[in-house]
Amino acid sequence: MSLPTPSDPAFDPLWLEELAGLVRELSRRTPRLVDLYLERRLEARISREHAGTVGTEVRTEGLAARWRSGAGTVIAARSGVTHAVVREVLGRAFRRLAVPQQRGLPTAELDPPLHWRKWAARTLEGTTRLPGIWLLSRRAVVVNAGGWHELRSPDLLRVRLEGTAPAALLAVWSHPQLDGWMEELLAPPPPKPWAPPSGTRLPVILTSGSAGALVHELAGHLLESDLVTTGISPMGNLEGATVASETLTILDDPTAGDLPGSFSCDDEGVAARPVTLVDGGVLRSWICDSEGARVLGAPAGRGRRATWQHPPASRMSNLVVAPGGADPEAMERDLSHGLVVTRAGGATVDPATGTFVLRVERGWEVRGGRRRRPLAPVHLVGSGLGVLASIDPVLGNDACPDWRLGWCVKDGLALPTGTLTPTLRLTGVEVL
Amino acid sequence: MSRTPFDLLDSLQSGASAARELLLGSGVARWEVFAKASLTTTSLDLRGRRSELSAEEIGVAVRTWDGRRAGFGAASGMEPAAARRAVDGCLAARCDAPRDPLPPRRLLGTADPPQGAEAPPRGWAAHVAGEVAAAIHRRSEGRLRPCRLAVHHGTWGWLLLTAEGFVAGHQACSSFLEVEVTGEPGIHGTWRSWQWIPSPGEFSAERAAAAAVDRALLAGRPAPVRSGLADLLLHGEVTAHLLAALEPLLLASPGDDDPVDRLVDRSGQLASPVLTLVDDRCGTSGPLPAPCDGEGLPARPITLLDHGVPRHRVACYRDAVGAGLNPNGGALRLSFRDLPASGLANLSVDTSLGVPPSRLLARAGKAYYLLRLVTPVEVDTGRDEIRLLASGLSMDGGRPGGWHPVVEVRGSLSRLLRGVEAVGTDLHWYQTAAGFVGAPSLLVLRQPVTEGG
Repeated sequence: MSLPTPSDPAFDPLWLEELAGLVRELSRRTPRLVDLYLERRLEARISREHAGTVGTEVRTEGLAARWRSGAGTVIAARSGVTHAVVREVLGRAFRRLAVPQQRGLPTAELDPPLHWRKWAARTLEGTTRLPGIWLLSRRAVVVNAGGWHELRSPDLLRVRLEGTAPAALLAVWSHPQLDGWMEELLAPPPPKPWAPPSGTRLPVILTSGSAGALVHELAGHLLESDLVTTGISPMGNLEGATVASETLTILDDPTAGDLPGSFSCDDEGVAARPVTLVDGGVLRSWICDSEGARVLGAPAGRGRRATWQHPPASRMSNLVVAPGGADPEAMERDLSHGLVVTRAGGATVDPATGTFVLRVERGWEVRGGRRRRPLAPVHLVGSGLGVLASIDPVLGNDACPDWRLGWCVKDGLALPTGTLTPTLRLTGVEVL
Repeated sequence: MSRTPFDLLDSLQSGASAARELLLGSGVARWEVFAKASLTTTSLDLRGRRSELSAEEIGVAVRTWDGRRAGFGAASGMEPAAARRAVDGCLAARCDAPRDPLPPRRLLGTADPPQGAEAPPRGWAAHVAGEVAAAIHRRSEGRLRPCRLAVHHGTWGWLLLTAEGFVAGHQACSSFLEVEVTGEPGIHGTWRSWQWIPSPGEFSAERAAAAAVDRALLAGRPAPVRSGLADLLLHGEVTAHLLAALEPLLLASPGDDDPVDRLVDRSGQLASPVLTLVDDRCGTSGPLPAPCDGEGLPARPITLLDHGVPRHRVACYRDAVGAGLNPNGGALRLSFRDLPASGLANLSVDTSLGVPPSRLLARAGKAYYLLRLVTPVEVDTGRDEIRLLASGLSMDGGRPGGWHPVVEVRGSLSRLLRGVEAVGTDLHWYQTAAGFVGAPSLLVLRQPVTEGG
């Protein structure tokens, strides 16, 4: 899937052109105007409310100006995208320059895609376990000294499952595998699950798509430039070092249009292109916003904003693990005793201890190469770098998106991200 | 900041009035308009790189009921076009609903407005950041340094009006501090803390530094495994997240299958008699007081757990009606974008019968002092299960033993809640997934513990 090309511009192109001229002028002064960021969002929701449904539509828009002076950055953000708001965020600077007026043209509204409401209502009718279904659309423009850059990203669908085993799905709307993922989400937990004794060390196979949270935490967050430059990431001094098996290659790819973290350019106006983070097990690069790129000498293009109210920060887009050549069924047959994870929930790397914890929602005990007992929810625990190094060189040939990954929250700010992973085998992990 | 809070309330009038006019002309029988504005300033120090952020968000939301269908729409901005987009969105999104989601006029009202916190002077946030950084250096004798230090100050105002002529408004401000400190790799790692600043005039950089570094200084080389039954001393932050995980037991339960029924014992106890929980929505003790809830019902303290016995449940109007409860003003509406929903505002533990933390330590036998969570608390109310992964110290007779990066507490939720032996007097406020929680240290006796990692 490629990124959608909207039929109508989200903002008046002529006005954006004039704003670009204004930014060029102010970017030569001190403090330096870095960019203007304009954003429009739609969040539509259909939720179940005591035997009925409630429909909601929330439309928000806002604008932010970013200034830089010496070692400091100043950001002013306001609701609305109008001439008056531009004047307000530019503060004193606008008095010296004329801020271009908007033409009186009606702007294109973001609207939910055709069929979405019907699909959501039909899905809610089929089950009582879904409290609501959300659709999220976003259009943005970055105006900087180089011109204006339209940010396109796919419409996203979010579904949350409540009850004793809560779970969530985040996927690109109209993804061809969506109905199958919904079935997986709604599948009831096994009746008599088995939990291995706490502290057991076992080899673990993560089926295609279920290793998303693992890769997201270990090869995603730990390579984000703010964690590297502040010394928080244990990967900070490992550029050029072997951190995983020689068959493991991981890219951060915002151009994969069927994954939730896709965009045409980042929120600093840098055109999207894939970056190879780990190449044949060797750490090659970082996930950088423009500031991180300047400090680390790596490519920029991952400065992402949670909303127009927040500054851009280095955040991953979609992590893609290059598939291997192994048949995933053969990988399972080769396991004498271990676990197969078919659905993983959240994962964390504890910043205080470096401990990695992956929550397993569904899976199986495997003995003699055959699935025996369904698995109760368990945690896989280990040191972050240790778990990454324990990924077996034999990789499956079956890469698949992880619909369970959901929103990535960092410093309290949520962003959509994606992963595409093949079947992976961890040589030995502690189970709690 | 470009506007004062008083300007904010003035500016809300225009958007709310425009929405009201549109709704009066729409023929919809019942409606509600909610307008909110907020100004947030953040001073961020990321290892010497300073950022100043000011963000203003303003918007209007409408809810309608036409006798058959209910809808909700919201749009940012306060100009007439924003009001029109909110009303149009609401009317377009209407769905069939079995009952009116809007509370009747007779239930609406306001309590005495709580006295707001003072607004700090200009430049205060940047000054505080510098003071705290220096205090951290002194407190830790140079062993820890701040790698991220953010001071946030927010001012907000809102206005609620209904088709029947009810009008309520409120304005307030609040400040808080986020600190991340790092030390020697492999020993201290990175420790995060969140601290509410109730009064900027009484802010103490020394106390803030203590809250940021004292736990981190207890970390050391990992000690050998010791599993089995042990007493638990929970740090206030761990207590807060544990209580937040109990949210399904504290909110109105819409179905017939109420998890609380399965967890109480024969005498109706859900937890130990030392545990009393109150959501004080109008008092000044918590960060989020207001004269009424997000739907206009008067704010009041809601006693949720009275000496271990469940008393009331927090409920918005539609959840209260759905669960057959009396509406008690439990609707939360943090932004104009949010549909009002049942939610905790200022949940806190009653510490009037608490004991000082030093005495809690003395009362613990072979114990783990759990200082921070490694993963979110997992609670399965249907199966009466809890799982908690935390880092902490082993204790013996009140004296510290080894440092344990991962301690797993896994067992019966009701056993843990009834095993609470004492609450501390050291209540602080924490930010959790279920909102703000005021929590002290907690001593829990004889729980099954495993070590990992």
